[in-house]
Amino acid sequence: MGSLGFTPSLIVVGISLVIGLVMVVVFRYTSDQKAIRVAKDHLKAHLLALRLFQDQIPVVLRSYGRILLATGRYLRLAFMPLLFVIVPLTFLIVQLDRYLGLTPLEAGHPFLVSARVADATTLNEASLQLPDGLVTTAPAVHVPAENEIVWRVVASREGDYEVNVQASAQTFSKRVVVGSGLPRLSPVRLRGRFWERLFYSAEAALPKNSLIEAISVQYPARDIAFAGFEWNWIWLFFVLSLAAGFLFKSILGIEI
Amino acid sequence: MKRHGTTSAERMRLLAWLAVLGVILLCPLRSHAYAGPGAGFAVLSSFWTLFVAFLYSVYAFFVWPFRQLFRLLRRRKAYGKAQIKRAVILGFDGMDPELTERFIAEGRLPNLAKLRDEGAFRKLRTTYPAISPVAWSTFMTGVNPGKHNIYDFLARDLSNYLPYLSSAEIKGPKRSLKIGKYTVPLGGPRIRGMRRGTPFWHWLGEAGIFCSVIRVPVTFPPEKFPGVLLSGMCVPDLKGSQGTFCLCTTRTSGDKFREGGVRVPVERDGSVFRSYVPGPEDPLTPGSGDELRVSFEINLDKTGTQARFIVDSQTFTLKVGDYSEWIPVKFKAGVGFSAHGICRFYLKELSSEVEVYVTPVNIDPGKPDLPISHPVTYSIYLAKLFGPYATLGLAEDTWALNEHVLDDDAFLAQCYANHDDRERMLFDALEKTQQGLCACVFDTTDRVQHMFWRYLDEDHPAARDVPRDQRPTVIQDLYARMDELIGRVMKQIDDKTLLMIVSDHGFKSFARCVNLNAWLHQNGYLALKSGKTESGDWFDDVDWSRTRAYTMGLNGLYLNLKGREREGIIEAGPDADELKDELRRKLDGLVDPASGRVGITGVFDCDAVYAGPYVDNAPDLIVGYGDGFRASWDSVMGKVTSLIFEDNLKAWSGDHCIDPRLVPGVLFCNRKIADEKPAIVDVAPTVLKLFGLALPGYLDGKPWSVATSITP
Repeated sequence: MGSLGFTPSLIVVGISLVIGLVMVVVFRYTSDQKAIRVAKDHLKAHLLALRLFQDQIPVVLRSYGRILLATGRYLRLAFMPLLFVIVPLTFLIVQLDRYLGLTPLEAGHPFLVSARVADATTLNEASLQLPDGLVTTAPAVHVPAENEIVWRVVASREGDYEVNVQASAQTFSKRVVVGSGLPRLSPVRLRGRFWERLFYSAEAALPKNSLIEAISVQYPARDIAFAGFEWNWIWLFFVLSLAAGFLFKSILGIEI
Repeated sequence: MKRHGTTSAERMRLLAWLAVLGVILLCPLRSHAYAGPGAGFAVLSSFWTLFVAFLYSVYAFFVWPFRQLFRLLRRRKAYGKAQIKRAVILGFDGMDPELTERFIAEGRLPNLAKLRDEGAFRKLRTTYPAISPVAWSTFMTGVNPGKHNIYDFLARDLSNYLPYLSSAEIKGPKRSLKIGKYTVPLGGPRIRGMRRGTPFWHWLGEAGIFCSVIRVPVTFPPEKFPGVLLSGMCVPDLKGSQGTFCLCTTRTSGDKFREGGVRVPVERDGSVFRSYVPGPEDPLTPGSGDELRVSFEINLDKTGTQARFIVDSQTFTLKVGDYSEWIPVKFKAGVGFSAHGICRFYLKELSSEVEVYVTPVNIDPGKPDLPISHPVTYSIYLAKLFGPYATLGLAEDTWALNEHVLDDDAFLAQCYANHDDRERMLFDALEKTQQGLCACVFDTTDRVQHMFWRYLDEDHPAARDVPRDQRPTVIQDLYARMDELIGRVMKQIDDKTLLMIVSDHGFKSFARCVNLNAWLHQNGYLALKSGKTESGDWFDDVDWSRTRAYTMGLNGLYLNLKGREREGIIEAGPDADELKDELRRKLDGLVDPASGRVGITGVFDCDAVYAGPYVDNAPDLIVGYGDGFRASWDSVMGKVTSLIFEDNLKAWSGDHCIDPRLVPGVLFCNRKIADEKPAIVDVAPTVLKLFGLALPGYLDGKPWSVATSITP
């Protein structure tokens, strides 16, 4: 992605526009447009009633009740299309998060590699094997309460590395990316834990009989500069896709 | 075989979706917080709504004590002496007392019978003339026409003898910018109400009594007062007329409709038909005659039994004989100028020829380009609550039925669709007005009687070819339907509520037309230009230099008075008085030679029936036609023909613009009323008195003695 010369902000803008358009179209065909229009109109009517009949206390109180009911009805109708989009969109956002959520590590800047083991007694047997270009800068730190061992590592140059964690006779690798651009990053490699793996990891699972439960690399979060602010990409996507949705819904005459 | 409802496969699929959704919701990630613009909009919108409601609540909370105090001080004036908590006035335009009595006797109207037995039923004396805008203006102001200035639908321009709408004047914007051939309006249209006098709900509102007023005639433009009001009769369509329908047709015809409608060609392009809805004049080229248009497309379905319409971005399918819902149409005139209207499409024919009737383009109540309610948000509120509704004053398209563009069933469907909307508004107003005044006028009674009296009349010329045993009972059904509505209203009110059913006038047959201009011509009062034996519309060939009297509109007869009319020749004073006496003597008792019946049963001097500051605008004489007669269609439009009397062959077969003594309205009340001869002018003072308010001294009406409680 980065090799095409697009900056992260341009990519987020482009994705937001496309997803904004796709989502309103999906919304159009998966929602009851007429019912949504009616529900919104009723909401507006009850709001107007508050003003029109402001001296009629029973009317005002009834209108408040109706506003709550109509809001519930509108939310139910508006969230119905969510059933259709939440799964694909969630997976899409997860995948985008691999590229946009974190930045690669920087050469010369130390970072942490940690391994969590199933049994605390294994901690003393765990070791980290580093490829050429990566070195540890401090002795390993054992955290028995967490079943975890942490190494402080630094890269001397950019590259796509594989570090190996050895425990007893088992050795497991973990990808570490040092560099720039928008590479696909996986902050953790996990054993089992399907759902967590699905949402957080971009690497193959550790074997079921592995003594190691997880190997993590602490990538820094990515901030995207846009409109004079530093944004987490998901917030920027939120704002821009909403704006795109508003734009396209008006152009296409879609009731949201 | 698929069962009714969901199948097990569908249930399984739904369960699977719910399971996935459940897992996602139970394992939340930051990305789940936002799942696309749809969810984002939903969250934002609902949050926004609740936020607005909350903000308003905070505002209301702090302001409430002051408002309540202010209200209490004002209401003490009213409710302190009030005999009633609420007045509900249902107006049924044209409900006739004789028919009502007859249908009660036949057992068709149980609720009205109950009101009569437990409360009161009277004939309600109407105004001179017995025309809706005149009578309803008197109803609301409590004064005679000499004080409210409405004498007919039309008034005449003294400078050119041409008519104009008597109730409201709509002009272009005050300022405009001329750029080449274009004129850019700087501001909205100017609207001036011509009705004078103060409606009684203004007095009630000032006293802190809340009022909901729905579709009472001659309330356009809406006037500011403490309450809500939706304007009725006299609200124009988007073209500025009182209703111009459109017949889109593939048939070529040079015939123009007499009035009320236009023909628009439908162009065929393979299986697609294209036409347009004509709209208002282009505001950028005023006076050019250029109109704005909204194009539409009709696609025939393969079976040829229905058609798909594409109007702007909206699509809908109609079968022959179907009406569409109200369709919003936007007439665009360059950047930044647009007019919002609504109309309904009716598919008349789908064969080798295609014909579509389009209702007059009503002002969109949800986006009103002209004010049609007070406050402006009231029409929007109703549109949001119930959907779009007819806003045109004369919403039931009687002209289309007269011109055979609509048949009986299509016209009735239109009437009752409008009526259903009105009922919804009424019941909402009843709910919102637990104390105060709720007044609502229904027009259906007037329109249906106008158009279907021919089936009620023994020998109406417009229904002679329909055997008596095959005549539909439209009017009987109409009264029964109104009675049923009254029954539902009666269930909603308590014994502290006054219920009043009123009509502005009654109804009679309109079988014979009287062309009064023809009579004036043949009797030497109206002269045509040399060589002419008839004139066109609006006195096209009248020689004013030799004309002493003329008529236009429904009941007014005018002298061609020197110093008043542009080419007047009659001196005001004794000459004018003498001419009026002479005309009265000759016209009163005028006999129709064909039937031997009296065509005119009274001619009334305006000086005798009117008093007030606007008497100078009144017709000099009011002509009271006899039962079965009315001013001819031509005479109303200032046309002189050779025939004085002729048959009325139009569907418009019943009328009330006759001798007011023959067409009183009805008055039902859920309380006893002592007065034996109440009049419509008395309604306003009666309601004011019941709410304990002092009566303004200029009122002409007298309050009735109404029982303080309901007789069990």
